[in-house]
Amino acid sequence: MKKVIIIRYAELFLKGKNRGFFEKAFEANIQRALKGIEHELLRQSGRYLVVNFAEEVIDEMIVRLKKVFGIHTFSVAYETDANMDAIFAVAKTVCKQEGSFKVASHRGDKKFPLTSIEISKELGGRLLSVYHNLTVDVHNPSFTVNVDIREGGKALVFSEFIEGANGMPVGTAGKGLLLISGGIDSPVAGYMMAKRGMNVECLHFHSYPYTNMQAKEKVVELATTIASYSCGTKLYTVSVTHIQEEIHKKCRPELMITLLRRFMFRIAERHALHISAQCLITGESLGQVASQTIEGMTSSNSVVEKLPVLRPLVGFDKNEIIDRSVKIGTYETSILPYEDCCTVFLPDFPAIRPKLKDILMEERKLDVEGLIKTAFESMEKIEL
Amino acid sequence: MIYLDNAATTKPCENAVRATEKYLFEKYYNPSALYTEGHELQSELKKARSALLSFVANENDFEWIFTSCGTESDNQAIFGFAKRGNAVTTMGEHSAVFTPFTELKNRGVVDARFAPLLPDGRVNVEKLLALVDEKTSFVSVIHVNNETGAINDINEIAKLVKKKNPRTIFHSDGVQAYGKLPFKLAKEVDLYSVSAHKIGGLKGVGGLIKRKSLALPAYLLGGGQENGRRSGTENVFGIMQFVLATNEKFSTLKADFERLQAYKKKFTEGLDKNVYTVLSGETASPYIVSVSAVGLRGEILLHLANDKGVIVGTGSACSSNAKNRYSRVILACGHDEKTADGVLRISFSSLTTVDEVEKAIEILNEIGRDLKKRMN
Repeated sequence: MKKVIIIRYAELFLKGKNRGFFEKAFEANIQRALKGIEHELLRQSGRYLVVNFAEEVIDEMIVRLKKVFGIHTFSVAYETDANMDAIFAVAKTVCKQEGSFKVASHRGDKKFPLTSIEISKELGGRLLSVYHNLTVDVHNPSFTVNVDIREGGKALVFSEFIEGANGMPVGTAGKGLLLISGGIDSPVAGYMMAKRGMNVECLHFHSYPYTNMQAKEKVVELATTIASYSCGTKLYTVSVTHIQEEIHKKCRPELMITLLRRFMFRIAERHALHISAQCLITGESLGQVASQTIEGMTSSNSVVEKLPVLRPLVGFDKNEIIDRSVKIGTYETSILPYEDCCTVFLPDFPAIRPKLKDILMEERKLDVEGLIKTAFESMEKIEL
Repeated sequence: MIYLDNAATTKPCENAVRATEKYLFEKYYNPSALYTEGHELQSELKKARSALLSFVANENDFEWIFTSCGTESDNQAIFGFAKRGNAVTTMGEHSAVFTPFTELKNRGVVDARFAPLLPDGRVNVEKLLALVDEKTSFVSVIHVNNETGAINDINEIAKLVKKKNPRTIFHSDGVQAYGKLPFKLAKEVDLYSVSAHKIGGLKGVGGLIKRKSLALPAYLLGGGQENGRRSGTENVFGIMQFVLATNEKFSTLKADFERLQAYKKKFTEGLDKNVYTVLSGETASPYIVSVSAVGLRGEILLHLANDKGVIVGTGSACSSNAKNRYSRVILACGHDEKTADGVLRISFSSLTTVDEVEKAIEILNEIGRDLKKRMN
């Protein structure tokens, strides 16, 4: 029996005159997700149909469609001829043999002889006559058999609604540059912005040889997971080894992290402008570590001149972030025990409320422009 | 590239690989099969066991069982005999022994006891013996420690253990000793683990030597290979290659031992004393040298050396894990965390040349001095 997949939008229907723009991006993202699988995508009013695919790729398609933002729900449906006998034959396989149920019908083809209510009544009656442990409950059924009469003499029958990723189609909300570490938070932050339709590219700072190759591999893996939600991404890596060594040599140890972060933000903004990204994204959460106090954020934010810094996790508890990380599939990688930022230079007691005046004084000891230039020379780009 | 991480693994003996290729493409039969071709392999395996055994033990007293690796041999010995009362081992064991002991302790199977080390990495024999009593079912003492190269006199320790409790089963992990040190097993040693890839063999072949009269419980059950002691189709190619590689090793064992002793001396004397402290003792295996760049981190030096064409180890498997960053063995020798953090393990093989040693000294000194400058 032929199967099709019905895809329903999430928030897209809210859009008025821009709808065409959103739909175009949405379609492109679905096509991209299903790349390599033979199929056809048809647009219908209020939904999409995926047709003409092989039965054995359905599981793979479900996995991939679950990651496409903009999809509210989707269903695998049987396609059959639009007559009650054929519909009943299919409904028997879709319908469970016990429990409470109802039939919900939709008559797209008004030429069909029965009305929606009549279809439901007729089909419900036939199902009850073959499955004796079924009961009807139209208000709170444990499952629903859906019948959809389409134009062209075909009907779709299905029961299950698979939850989609929701959100907005990636590509409809500009481009952002995510500062990605190897930790739990930043991948979640990237996911959340992608969910709102943003194209997310990633920037990672490493301190080889103080950190190892495995730590970098880990970030590649995390960025790959983000790429699976955001229709691909690019990962840029930059070495901050030299910067750390200079800070270590010349500045007060308790300001190491604050000073380093200011370099990271400067590099990130310049690179973001270079790749036409419109914002920086970080995984910062208020008060989580010494550098993520409001004072810490102020000091690092103050070097960013032109772009907004988005912090989608700023009000989240660690546990909430962990839950999301598990859900999107980055947690297991994030907790691999490789150090992502050089702990060799970590002070015993980092400054919790760094004062901008002190920071500026320490920073004057460094050749900021020269160090940034050296850092940019180490940049590598990985397409994911 | 200068490869000085031979305690991790060695380059397979090429002659041996070529000479045994026929076991891949011609004599690929299952040795348990009943037709002539299979049966012939059975007798070749028999010869292989006897050859590998004869290098270190008397064939009248001992027999050889093929396994897949040193870790498997250790596990079979430990889980086979450490079943009641207490079991004693040392703080200087490889994880393949240390972790099973910890596991048995956690499961509440035996009271696992760990004997302390001397500063040079050997076990403190007196304290080890103090842990052995009438309830000790099993004792395991590593022959050559994989991080420091410290050599334990296992024959002597086995005798002393048996003197205290004749019913105790004595095992030794000989992975870093077999094919490298000149020795014969005393009959007080009940079990001895060996690995092929540490001496020019291939990964995936190991051996467990056991005293003949000892009833070793099987760890893998199945087709009954290895006299029922270790089921699983034999890795015939790997085994045959191992035999030839071992032949080669033992034919030059004493000469290699002496040559590497000279290299080790040259190496330890050549290192910049302002950067490196040698941790390995003078009586340790010449194949392994443990040094520490105190105040620096070994792993960073490893990367820097790597970039300059020298491959060395850090000696501890989880060096990148912040929680287990410091080698358990180095700390057990009484060194502080700063010393443990700076550890590099340099390990030679019979293929190592004097030129390589000299070049390695030069590079390690250069990167050590450089890093010290960068970090201070």
